[in-house]
Amino acid sequence: MALMPKRIKYRKSQRGKIRGRASRGNSVSYGEFGLQVLECGWITARQIEAGRVAATHFLHREGRVYVRLFPHKPVSAKPLETRMGKGKGDPEFWVACVRPGTIMYEIGGVVEDVARDAFRRVAAKMPYRCRFVTRRVGV
Amino acid sequence: MEQLVLKASRRTNLGTKHACREREAGRLPAIIYGHGEDPEPISLDAHDALLELQHGARVFNLELDGKQIQYLVKDVQYDYLDTNPLHVDLMRVKVGEKVHVKVGVELRGTPEGIAEGGVLDHPVSEVDVECLITQIPETIVAGVKHLKVGEALLAKDLELPAGVTLLTDPEERIAAVRVLAEEIVEEEAGEEAEQPEVIGRAKEEEGPEKEG
Repeated sequence: MALMPKRIKYRKSQRGKIRGRASRGNSVSYGEFGLQVLECGWITARQIEAGRVAATHFLHREGRVYVRLFPHKPVSAKPLETRMGKGKGDPEFWVACVRPGTIMYEIGGVVEDVARDAFRRVAAKMPYRCRFVTRRVGV
Repeated sequence: MEQLVLKASRRTNLGTKHACREREAGRLPAIIYGHGEDPEPISLDAHDALLELQHGARVFNLELDGKQIQYLVKDVQYDYLDTNPLHVDLMRVKVGEKVHVKVGVELRGTPEGIAEGGVLDHPVSEVDVECLITQIPETIVAGVKHLKVGEALLAKDLELPAGVTLLTDPEERIAAVRVLAEEIVEEEAGEEAEQPEVIGRAKEEEGPEKEG
């Protein structure tokens, strides 16, 4: 099942604008390798799940995959063949907002070549340009 | 690798605006502090400093005011892509003074437990150690070939170089071989997937009844 929050304060939210660059969540923290997004935008819960499934299937249950994104933002849409007006549509799906630099996934417990191949498959599922990054040890 | 001598110059104009100008001019803002003395804002050659950091240097050899002094790299701020350094914190260190640093742990070998269906987990990739700045190890190499399913490599099992003391909890699990639990595959919910609970919605509905 696609990710979504358990409890929310408001059912619908405004679209908002994604400005700037990632000031947090932009370094590999849990695993040894990460997939970093280079553009800003929305990533839907289905895309997040597709990426996770692609990575775990490729790794054949080796290592560990960490998902650093969570779709907190509801996106509403009007039903088809509906005239304009009559209020905002119902929430259709959930998205995570990403900025350039955000680490989306991390992998630990496998060698670099395997992690690269896994992330190549994950990147193909993503709607934005991504790059492979490794964890920095020490300072 | 022989260490570069980084030429440092003092910064007189401080603040974000001037730091940005320094970076545009190919300099890297840095600060020297420690031992109760006043902090000294300086700038380094960005290219040379980046080379040193990429080679894993933990100590910078600076030439400042005609003197060569070694400083411990205490912290580095990176840009939004976590690639280029924006600022470096350097700490004064006396001769013979021991320092606390984090050192990476590199695992070597394929554990025996992998053949039995286990998975190598590496929850801790760095350990805290105390040593002289001349003795800071690049990495601590740990063999995990002997690990079977259910066994773990603890911090106390690490073989540290001479002069290096472990500060991390000795019982901390560095690596372990475990069997993954079966993944629970949830059935895909239909289009009418359940919606999250709205905080306060239930209370609002109950409110008038209580009043009435």
